[in-house]
Amino acid sequence: MEPTLASYLALSGILFTIGAVGVIFKRNAIGMFMCIELMLNAVNITFVGFSRFYNDATGQLFVFMVMSVAAAEAAIGLGIIIAFFRNRISVDVDDASILKN
Amino acid sequence: MNPDANLAIILPEIVVAVFGTIVMLYDCFVPNSRKTTAAVSIFGLLLAAIALFWLWLFAGQSVPVSAWNGMIVTDSLRLSFSISFLIITAVTILVSAVWVEREDVPAGEYYSLLLFATVGMLLMASGNDLVIIFLGLETLSLSTYVMAGLRKTDLRSNEAAMKYFILGSFASAFLLYGMALVYGATGSTNISEIAIKVANANFPALLLIGGAMMLVGFGFKIACVPFHIWTPDVYEGAPTPITGFMAAGPKAAAFASFMRVFVLGFPLINGVQVSAFLHDSWITALSIMAILTMTFGNVAAIVQNNVKRMLAYSSIAHAGYAMVGFVAAGMAKTADKREEIIAAVAFYMLAYAITNLGAFAIVTLIAEKNDRRTEFDDYNGIGFRSPLLSFSLSIFMLSLLGLPLTAGFISKVLVFQPAFEAGSPLLVFLVVVAVVNTAISAYYYLRLIVVMFFRERVTEWENPKIPYSLATVLVFAVLGVFYLGIFSDGVIRLFKSSPSAFQLRVSEPSVQPSIDMTKAER
Repeated sequence: MEPTLASYLALSGILFTIGAVGVIFKRNAIGMFMCIELMLNAVNITFVGFSRFYNDATGQLFVFMVMSVAAAEAAIGLGIIIAFFRNRISVDVDDASILKN
Repeated sequence: MNPDANLAIILPEIVVAVFGTIVMLYDCFVPNSRKTTAAVSIFGLLLAAIALFWLWLFAGQSVPVSAWNGMIVTDSLRLSFSISFLIITAVTILVSAVWVEREDVPAGEYYSLLLFATVGMLLMASGNDLVIIFLGLETLSLSTYVMAGLRKTDLRSNEAAMKYFILGSFASAFLLYGMALVYGATGSTNISEIAIKVANANFPALLLIGGAMMLVGFGFKIACVPFHIWTPDVYEGAPTPITGFMAAGPKAAAFASFMRVFVLGFPLINGVQVSAFLHDSWITALSIMAILTMTFGNVAAIVQNNVKRMLAYSSIAHAGYAMVGFVAAGMAKTADKREEIIAAVAFYMLAYAITNLGAFAIVTLIAEKNDRRTEFDDYNGIGFRSPLLSFSLSIFMLSLLGLPLTAGFISKVLVFQPAFEAGSPLLVFLVVVAVVNTAISAYYYLRLIVVMFFRERVTEWENPKIPYSLATVLVFAVLGVFYLGIFSDGVIRLFKSSPSAFQLRVSEPSVQPSIDMTKAER
């Protein structure tokens, strides 16, 4: 059976939700970051699904942009997390608690 | 398809990007050249400003107003915001010079990051396509994440960078999902085309969900309630000159593309139910957010004891005031009116940016190494001992409060007046809330002045030496506050004078052939 637009959208919706819930409930910075990547890739599936549906290349072009941005984001994010780890010996976001009201 | 390439129309962006690269490479080969890199960066921004004015004069004549298949446009929204971005970055570089020296920051990386962030901001204002807006936003955000965590050994800076990064990319993911759904609903990523296709969207429900998700993403970037949680922490932990930059630049850039997507992309088209529903929904959502943002920002600012935190909440409140203009632009009946209000919002962001950067310049100087002194108590009694600093800081506080003759006053008038005159009860209510909030904000702005002039200093105070770069910023900011406050007409006229061929016009609904489903299913 050929996948329809609805199945692409359902898959991406489920993945996006898993990612969003993961970011909210995870306490490990690396884990949260992985969940964000999951959300970005869920969006890519949406783009590809619509791109196929409309027979229009714009969606696929957008996916390339998202992938390159996600790669840059990974480089920078891991750098920031490592800087944090060096000072705290921890990647737990609950340890990020100096700045408070 | 014809690529429709035109390098002239993105000349300011190219100039800034090239200079960012030059600065980065220059620092590799000539280490410890802090002053030169700063000077080269400012020179690059100056060239970009010249390119921008050239566009301002010739767009629509020798340069087309829109190129790259409609991805880049030159309209008043782009031009007025872009010139603000260039000013903001130039002033930030001057403020940073003292800080870069003091903290021994690698200058090449720092200035090139600032310039790349500026490229992102410029693209956000000029992009008329969701792809460009997304790329601009990410270029800006990624540079800002790094700059927030630039002091690698400082725990507060680490923490600020990590919070900003995680929450920022979380919000970007929402924005992106919104863009994907809007693309899915309309079949286009071009904002002018979306504005037309909203009338007969293929999936109206997806359009609404997509709009809501984009609201979350942009709302995070402009730091409005309820997406503001990161703001105070990040503003407090980030190095002070960067905090000033973040409160001025990225916020204005997010406003530029937020307005382009919502005001121009989701217009009200008479007689079309989908567009009316979409328009009503985002106007209502933004109005509620504006009320919450103003009220929460001001009330929370009252109880702060840290000056940077107080300014962070004040920046939340100012985003709320600007959102009143945003809603008014969305509800404007005619294209002229809409353009006038958008120019007013651009003016508001410029006035706020100049005032705020001036204030942060002084906070940077007083903070000393490692941002040690940022509490209100550190400002006790410095009034008559460092009159230059305390008087200019007082002027900036009064301008943020909105005292007549200052930029803060006239910018509030310009934003609130058209909203008030539009006659819609919703807008009148928003203006009333904003005015009440301005009164509340007097408490904490005046508190800083009172602390400086009327409190006894118990710890010792050494009058800090004001370096030339910082003195330039102070003179520029004080003059700017009064210039914008008194001669606002000229600036507003400049902001409104867009290339005539491409006004900020919402396209009339035309009957578009709906997508050929049989072809698409294949």
